[in-house]
Amino acid sequence: MKSLKEEFLEILSNYQGILHKVNLVYFKNESDREDNFQEITYQLWKSYPNLKNKDSIGSWIYSVSINTSISRIKRESRIHYRDEIPELPDKSNIIDEISKNESLQLLLNAIYNLNGIDKSIMLLYLEEKSYSEIANIIGISKSNVGVRINRAKELLKQNINTLNHGEY
Amino acid sequence: MQKIWKNINAGIPQKSIEELNLLLTSKTKQTLNKFLLPMSISILVCIALIIYLTITSLNRQDDLIYIINNLTLGLITTIALFSGMISWYKLQNNRYNQPLKEWLEVRIHLLSKWLTGKQSKLYVLLIPILYTLTVLSIHVYFENKTFIEVLNTKESIIGLVVGTLIGLFVSYFAVRKIRKYQMLKLEFLNDLYGRLNNAR
Repeated sequence: MKSLKEEFLEILSNYQGILHKVNLVYFKNESDREDNFQEITYQLWKSYPNLKNKDSIGSWIYSVSINTSISRIKRESRIHYRDEIPELPDKSNIIDEISKNESLQLLLNAIYNLNGIDKSIMLLYLEEKSYSEIANIIGISKSNVGVRINRAKELLKQNINTLNHGEY
Repeated sequence: MQKIWKNINAGIPQKSIEELNLLLTSKTKQTLNKFLLPMSISILVCIALIIYLTITSLNRQDDLIYIINNLTLGLITTIALFSGMISWYKLQNNRYNQPLKEWLEVRIHLLSKWLTGKQSKLYVLLIPILYTLTVLSIHVYFENKTFIEVLNTKESIIGLVVGTLIGLFVSYFAVRKIRKYQMLKLEFLNDLYGRLNNAR
């Protein structure tokens, strides 16, 4: 029988893409993303024993990842003592992959310019989450989700146009 | 946009279970150290102070004012230690596994209570009281005079006033720094919460 930690690590391994994507929209710097990945992992592990509904693992991971990232973005502006991150073998850099795709690069740059809330809503929209799932993760009503997505999409389009015309 | 976004999946790095385990273990150790170190230092300092107060009070049983000074100091220190530990635990025990809006509400409530609540300005009163009582307790004991005699000595009074002023300045500076950082954090969370509520 698997221990709780083994069970958790297996889930984390299967869903780690969510952590990477949340990191990508919130942090530009590679070392900040690594720090935040570790922090999210720890927060997920801390709350894992309280996870009652194992059918909504994805939503739980999104919630913890978004809340953890938001609580850390403020720290970027001050002197930051980095946590020690264990040396891991070099993996393909996600940014290298993105730089090969101009449209994706443009989209990501436009997302960076959104505020913390709109970033998370746009991420969930881009991940094709249903309104009801987004409502659960963000804690707002379904109708509100629709309003917010439309508004965020408009802002994103404006950002893309600005970036396209090099006006920033 | 959703189609473009899907391309990102090709670039997502995959960490192995062993690597994830290594990250988790190292983070758990760091967090435990961050939490335990300041807590252990505070507890040790308070215990040392209480032992010192007990010993010096026993040695000065004939000086009632000195004993009252030490008792007051001991009592305030013990209460401050416990309430400080509770606040610290609440601030550290950040529960992220809830909807964003709920999480923001909890954090804002906790920080507001701490920074702008009824007892938020208590430190303005407590720091000088604690500092003065501590300085008096040490100074009177090592001067080998009674409490009243020390207060009647001009040099002692000058030393106490200058020492207290310097100490208070340093303490206030440190507390203000911490509060300023927490206030910025509170403003940031309030701003995000406002944005969530201003959808319509």
